[in-house]
Amino acid sequence: MELLFQFLSNTGYYLADYRHVIMIVIGSLFLYLGSAKHYEPLLLIPIGFGILVGNVPFFKGFGLGIYESNSVLHYLYFGVVTGLYPSIVFLGLGAMTDFSSLLARPVLMLLGAAAQMGIFFTLLGALALGFLPKEAGSIAIIGGADGPTSIFLTAKLAPHLIGPIAIAAYSYMALIPVIQPPIMRLLTTRKERLIRMPELREVSKKERVIFPAVGVLLCCFLAPASIPLLGTFFFGNFLKECGVTDRLAQTARTAIIDTATILLGLTVGASTQGDVFLTGKSVSIFLLGAVAFSIATASGVIFAKIMNLFLKEKINPLLGAAGVSAVPGSAREVHLVGQSEDPENYLLMHAMACNSSGVIGSAICAGILWSFMVGL
Amino acid sequence: MYGLKAITVHNGWAMALAGALIVFSGLVVLSFVISQLHKVLMFFEKKPVDFQQDQETPDIEPSEDKPGFLLPKPFPADINEIVRLYKPLVEELGETFYLSELYEILRKNDFPHPHITLTALRESEILIPDGDGVFTWNPPTEHDDNEKVEG
Repeated sequence: MELLFQFLSNTGYYLADYRHVIMIVIGSLFLYLGSAKHYEPLLLIPIGFGILVGNVPFFKGFGLGIYESNSVLHYLYFGVVTGLYPSIVFLGLGAMTDFSSLLARPVLMLLGAAAQMGIFFTLLGALALGFLPKEAGSIAIIGGADGPTSIFLTAKLAPHLIGPIAIAAYSYMALIPVIQPPIMRLLTTRKERLIRMPELREVSKKERVIFPAVGVLLCCFLAPASIPLLGTFFFGNFLKECGVTDRLAQTARTAIIDTATILLGLTVGASTQGDVFLTGKSVSIFLLGAVAFSIATASGVIFAKIMNLFLKEKINPLLGAAGVSAVPGSAREVHLVGQSEDPENYLLMHAMACNSSGVIGSAICAGILWSFMVGL
Repeated sequence: MYGLKAITVHNGWAMALAGALIVFSGLVVLSFVISQLHKVLMFFEKKPVDFQQDQETPDIEPSEDKPGFLLPKPFPADINEIVRLYKPLVEELGETFYLSELYEILRKNDFPHPHITLTALRESEILIPDGDGVFTWNPPTEHDDNEKVEG
């Protein structure tokens, strides 16, 4: 009988408290949004399931939890805290990305730069709310709307915040259809939303092959701390474009990125143990994340409007919202908002140009913030 | 510590301003470089001749080692000129032939841009597919040629 009581006292039912229940509800919500509503299912489903796994109460000392040094989850989590998975995800992203539209209209890269302003505004906001500089830098990068970049920088600067920052970053990426359209509509007139973009010129294969080599050199010379992200990103793109490594590119954009995404999502989800995750800081991070993402969207749109003051050939300011690096969610949203005004207005390719420059921009920002925080 | 004081103490203003400037300047430079990329490539590349363009062809001297074929340089822009040059080669191949056979002869005789020229001949319906991968030669008639010259 005593053995039975001892066993029962070690079960999850006995050990559970309200925090576990809250997190399990959040995990279930992620699974629902991913599977039923199709909101970023490739991200939300691994994370949601990870939240369920990570919030099963267990007897401490068994080597089960993600924060226990000899557990399986802890070994898998190694890829997160070292920044390994984000680098691998970037390799796959590079092998997927077609820079043709950006090469055809390089001026759109400025919108990718403008959208990064959300990061620096949020840095100030986080400092003002009492976060330490390294924590503030990690929270600010949520404004880049890039999950792997957020995780990478947080792993380097404030590893204790990986859970809330990753969840906030991926949540806002999934909520793009909810967050971005009202901001786009608020900051643009109907006339501006109706602006049609000219057809893009054809980009030669040589340009596409040379671009990743030029890109990696220019960006990484400027911010060497972004090498782990941009190095693999441009390498993946070179594999895709050079034309002689199709097998490698194919593997990078399928098996490799899928494996990294599964492990990244599952372990980040599992890292949100209720007792670690449900703190006042997490709530502040979520609020700041929303502010960061909104400012990033608004900065891109406003900058596009400023550019229109000087450009002969006006650009549709909606494209500015695609300057965040949530690929391809924000580009798709820009296209849909444009089409809701004019069904024959095709903004997708131009938005993808801003989107891919946003990826480069946010990775450079991560490198810059990491460099600033060295020695603090 | 909270508020503006916290930002100032942690050097937040400088970090935000410098960070924004660095990322902006970095992407501006990258943007400028890629905007010039195609121009640089065009400078180093020999652009293939556009058959639609009217281009003056310089007088060509007959080459001693390739009797019977005049190879104007640059390659003739006029499709009739191409027909005239290719005719003896095609006649060697017979009534129907594979494009690979014609291509091989062109290559052996150092004709420039044989792929482009064959494409132009196909588009002009001078090389007509006859099914099963073989082609026939259908040059414009003398009458048509005269009309084009006069026109």
